[in-house]
Amino acid sequence: MSEQKRTFVCHVDDLPPGTMKFLPVGKQGIGVYNVKGDFYALSNYCPHRGAPLCLGPVSGEVRPGDEPYELTWERDQEIVRCPWHGWEFEIATGNALALKNHKARSWPVTVEDGSVYVEGV
Amino acid sequence: MWKVYDPMSVTVGNESVRTETVLGSIDTAVHPTFTSDAELRQYLPRAYRDRPFPNSLRYLYSPPTGVAPYGSYSAEARQAAGTPGSDPELAAEHLAAYGSDEAILLPLARGVLPNLDLGTEICKAINTWLAERWLSAATEVRYHGSIRLNPLDVEGSITELERWAGDDRMVQVSVPLEAHLPYGHRVYHRLWEAVAASGLPVAVRNDGYSGASFHPTPSGFPRHYAEFAALQQNNYIYHLTSLVAEGVFERLPALRWVFTDGGFDVMLPLMWRMDMDWPITRVETPWVPHLPSEYLRRHVRFVTSPFEGPPDDIVDEWSGIWDAGSLLMYGSAYPMWMSTGARDILPAALAEVRDRVLRGTAEEFFALRPRS
Ligand code: FES
Repeated sequence: MSEQKRTFVCHVDDLPPGTMKFLPVGKQGIGVYNVKGDFYALSNYCPHRGAPLCLGPVSGEVRPGDEPYELTWERDQEIVRCPWHGWEFEIATGNALALKNHKARSWPVTVEDGSVYVEGV
Repeated sequence: MWKVYDPMSVTVGNESVRTETVLGSIDTAVHPTFTSDAELRQYLPRAYRDRPFPNSLRYLYSPPTGVAPYGSYSAEARQAAGTPGSDPELAAEHLAAYGSDEAILLPLARGVLPNLDLGTEICKAINTWLAERWLSAATEVRYHGSIRLNPLDVEGSITELERWAGDDRMVQVSVPLEAHLPYGHRVYHRLWEAVAASGLPVAVRNDGYSGASFHPTPSGFPRHYAEFAALQQNNYIYHLTSLVAEGVFERLPALRWVFTDGGFDVMLPLMWRMDMDWPITRVETPWVPHLPSEYLRRHVRFVTSPFEGPPDDIVDEWSGIWDAGSLLMYGSAYPMWMSTGARDILPAALAEVRDRVLRGTAEEFFALRPRS
C-alpha cells in the first residue's frame, strides 16, 4: 500500500475549537479549522473572485425564524465568511450557503497521536 | 372558490414552425371605459355620489395623439357617442378583428386617493358596473373580469374580494402601479394572503395620474410625454424587487403577479442585477432562499402592452434568453392610443413561442376553461 501524501499541521492542543491554523502549501495555502472538536481544511481561495478566504471571520448562519421577518442565529462557528464580498461557506464541506453549485475546495484532516494532518497535500 | 393555478402543469409544444395565424388569441389587457363619469356615479352609494374626484384621463403627460382633448384613446376606438372603449359590443368587434376570441377586462380606477374610503367605494362601483354592463353582455368575444381593489384599504379590499368569491367571471384582482409603499411591504400582507387563497393573480396597471401621484421618475419630472411613457413603466420593478426581497412569494407560494403595463423589455437586466448581489446580501433576507430571477416563472407574468420586442432576425435567441414563451402574454391595451393587434406581436417568432404568448400562457395562468 502506497503512503498517502499528508502534511503535518500542528499539535491538537495548538488548534483549540473556534480557531484556524494557516498552512502555506500549494498556490494559495490552506486553512485548517477546529469546529467544536472536528477538524476541516479549506482552500484559502474564494470561488467567487479569488479572495484569501481564510482571512475571513469564523461565523454563524442567519436563518429566518418561524414568524415573518424573525431572524435567528444558528450553527455558530460553523461558517466562514469571505473577507471581500461576504459569501458564506460551510467549513465542514466548503459549500456556499447562498448558491448551490459553488464550493470552496476542501481536504480531509486526520488526528494521529496528538498531531493534526491534512491529507492529500 | 376559483381553481388554483398549478405552475407544474405548464407545457411547451415542440412544433417548430412559424405561422401567420393569430385567430383565437387571448387578449389579457383591455381597458373598458365609462360612457361618462355620470355612469360610474350611478354605481356609487348615494352618500358618495356627489363627491368630487378626478376622472380617469391623464392631464399631465397626455399623449399627443389619439382622440382629443387628452389623446389617451386610439382614434379607431372612437364612438358616435360616449368615451372611446365604452361600448361592449363595439369593443368586441375591434378585439375580434385584432385576432382574439377572449379578453380580460381591466377598467382603470382612480389610482390611490388620499380619502381611502372614497377610493374603496370607487373600486366597488367599478366592479359592480363591470359585472353588470360588460360581463353580462352577449358579445362575440368572451369577456373575463378583474376585481379592482384599493391597496390603501386592506380590510375593505378583503371584504370586496369576498363579495366576488365564487364568481368565476372574475379572473384576477387589480391594483394601481402607484402605491404609497412597494407591494412587498408588510402592510399589504393580509391582503395578499387573502388574494393567494382565492387563487387569483394580482394585475398591476398604471391608473395614470388620476389619483395622488408621485414623481414619475425617482429623479423628478420629465418634460414630455415621450419621456414619461418610456420611463413610468419601470416603476413595476420596484414592486417586483420588493415582493421578492420581502419573501412574499416564499410565504405565499400561491401568489402570482402580472404586470399589465409594459416593463418586459427591461425586466431581465434588472433581475440579473439583483441576482448578482444576492449571495452577498443573503444575511439581510434569509427568508429568500432562491435567486431573485428564479421566482419569475412560478409567480410573475408580463403583458405585451407596451412592448418593444426584438428585431426579427434575433427573435429566437431573444425569446430563449428572455423566456418569452413562459413569461409574456399578449394584451392589446384597447382602447388606449398604443393598442396593438395580435398580428403585430413577435411576427417572426417560432410558432410554439408565439402560440404561448398569444394564448397558451394566459390560458394556464388564468385557469381559463376551454372554449365550448
Ligand atoms: S471573493 Fe469571496 S466573496 Fe467575493
